[in-house]
Amino acid sequence: MQYKSQAVAKPYFIAAIGLFVGQILFGLIMGLQYVLGDFLFPAIPFNVARMVHTNLLIVWLLFGFMGGAYFLIPEESETELFSPKLALIMFWIFLVAGAATIVGYLAVPYATLAELTGNNIIETMGREFLEQPLPTKVGIVAVALVFLFNITMTVLKGKKTAISLVLLIGLWGLAVFYLFSFYNPANVVLDKFFWWWTVHLWVEGVWELILGSFLAFVLIKTTGVDREVIEKWLYVIVTLTLISGIIGTGHHYFWIGTPEYWQWWGSIFSALEPIPFFAMTVFAFNMVNRRRREHPNKAAVLWALGTGVMAFLGAGVWGFLHTLAPVNYYTHGTQITAAHGHMAFYGAYAMVNLMIISYAMPILRGRAANSNRSQVLEMWSFWLMTVSIVFITLFLTAAGILQVWLQRVSDTPLPFMVAQDKIALFYWMREWAGVAFLIGLIVYITSFFVSGEEKAS
Amino acid sequence: MINTLKNPANRAWIVLMIATGITWYLGEIGAAGTAAIVAMLLIAFVKGRLVILDFMELRAAPLMWRVLLEGWLILVSSLILIAYWISLK
Amino acid sequence: MNTIALDPAEHHVKRLPGDLAIWFFILAEMVAFAVFFSSYAFARAKNVEMFNLYQQTLDRNLGALNTLLLITGSWFVVLAVQAAHRDDQKSISRNILFGFLCGGGFLTVKVIEYAAKFGAGISLSTNTFYMFYISLTFFHFMHVILGMVILAVLWKQSRDGAYGAHNAHGLESGAAYWHMVDLLWIVLFPLVYVMR
Repeated sequence: MQYKSQAVAKPYFIAAIGLFVGQILFGLIMGLQYVLGDFLFPAIPFNVARMVHTNLLIVWLLFGFMGGAYFLIPEESETELFSPKLALIMFWIFLVAGAATIVGYLAVPYATLAELTGNNIIETMGREFLEQPLPTKVGIVAVALVFLFNITMTVLKGKKTAISLVLLIGLWGLAVFYLFSFYNPANVVLDKFFWWWTVHLWVEGVWELILGSFLAFVLIKTTGVDREVIEKWLYVIVTLTLISGIIGTGHHYFWIGTPEYWQWWGSIFSALEPIPFFAMTVFAFNMVNRRRREHPNKAAVLWALGTGVMAFLGAGVWGFLHTLAPVNYYTHGTQITAAHGHMAFYGAYAMVNLMIISYAMPILRGRAANSNRSQVLEMWSFWLMTVSIVFITLFLTAAGILQVWLQRVSDTPLPFMVAQDKIALFYWMREWAGVAFLIGLIVYITSFFVSGEEKAS
Repeated sequence: MINTLKNPANRAWIVLMIATGITWYLGEIGAAGTAAIVAMLLIAFVKGRLVILDFMELRAAPLMWRVLLEGWLILVSSLILIAYWISLK
Repeated sequence: MNTIALDPAEHHVKRLPGDLAIWFFILAEMVAFAVFFSSYAFARAKNVEMFNLYQQTLDRNLGALNTLLLITGSWFVVLAVQAAHRDDQKSISRNILFGFLCGGGFLTVKVIEYAAKFGAGISLSTNTFYMFYISLTFFHFMHVILGMVILAVLWKQSRDGAYGAHNAHGLESGAAYWHMVDLLWIVLFPLVYVMR
């Protein structure tokens, strides 16, 4: 570890992995509820399991981003963190707030939770992914602002590099666009319109900048390729991301009551969104092929390559599958969307967090890389989880195609629930792939506790 | 004068200016239909190729890059041609 | 580490001017426009009368004038790159400046054109033809602005003597982007303003 204050990243990473486990468990519960409708009813209804599954995902990714930033920024800026103490205080606030929110979801009915937490002051609850009660939302903003203050001050007092600049833009964007979760106009079209400014502009905009900067950082460290070369690629990727991603928001504006031109704008620009992801894949492989050193942390390099490929497949290819308006007319809100969501989130954001954790954790624990045995186990977990997500995606895609066919394209369309019954087989297969994913995750966690000969730092 | 014309960029510039004039003139006389469309696409192709080879200086670049850019020009012109051909049917 | 030893002779023969990353970027941009151009053409095929009717309301003279401005602007930038290869410092920045001014001329003409159209109450929702006309030209408009920002940076750098016979990489990269802006308009002008 080059700078003492980088150590604050450690609790963030541990919390991230812990919440990741929770996310997967609730995913399995929901997956089972798809086929056994009354499983765990009334203790955990489907809508609650779904909310917990998606909210835990967002929160663990945010923990990972913050931890990654706390690790990356001091090293890039070549100076200690502005205030490590502040970073630790924010960690506990965020963790407690996050946990309390999840407990709230599980303990009381959602409507009661809304009443208890002052939703009548500003009505912000009840919208997908932004279900958090008002105090949690305010807490997220407060934590984000203090976090941004902390790392921005660090960058300002130290060296300014392209990587930290891109990361800062990404993180500031994340905070700014979250503010739209407080804006809930009575007009449903406007509500949806700006809801996407948080949801879409996060995952298909500013988060990609965070992804790009993390990837660039790990590639510089593990390949020893000139910073100049890597930065040039980073700029290209960032520009392509912003051009395609921002106007690509239009692919959510096809059927919500917005003007017709969005069908063209959304189709054309979102059709281009695979390009920056493709550039990332080319970039990662290119840099690893041109490496000037053999970094002992093979697992981190594997995650770096993996995130490029899987993000391109999940976000790029599976996104493109249903992004053109005439196709989306049939596929909107089917299991095709779920297939895309699973692979894209895992490939782009889960994997990039696992990459930065894989690179940083050994260093935080006082060694350049983990023992061979531990790395082999970690790589096993990589393949288990990645192959499982590929299968989850394929099964959901098959389910989605059937669903579209039976329920929408057919001359004698079936009702929703009847169509769901017909595709139950795929839901079962998806559930088993989910179990394999959980095993992969357990192997991943085990790899942290496997000793063996360590490589000196 | 002869020296000026030795520079491929200068020659390209002159051709590009004249070609633009022709396209504009075709518009002024209200040219329409298959012949006009093909003529205009051909002019655009020639112009685009000059920009690629003499302005972007890809004449001396590895073949792949010439193929990619000139290929783009051919692809776009063909797609437009197909679409216009459909509309004429 | 040993970098790949390039045969200097061969290196001279086959060379991609500018940086690989900028060419990747240019290709991505060109793909974007290719999709846009063909969308226009196929949307038109479904609605030929309407497209032909409203195409008549566009100002072809201004469109052609803008083509000339972009071509000339591109030409100046080629002269700047050639000057760099000759190490003619003064000529580099002067030609970049002329290229930049041509871009400024393009924007001015375009703003006049837009003012007339928007003044007549035309918007993205008027009809499909105008939707494409505004989207395509405005998307291109933004590229002209980006190209001019790049030229401004090149101009500043060239004034500081950053470019010469052995250091034209950055200049060539920026120039390639500027030529792309020109190339796109060369297709866009006949497609939207003239072909029917």
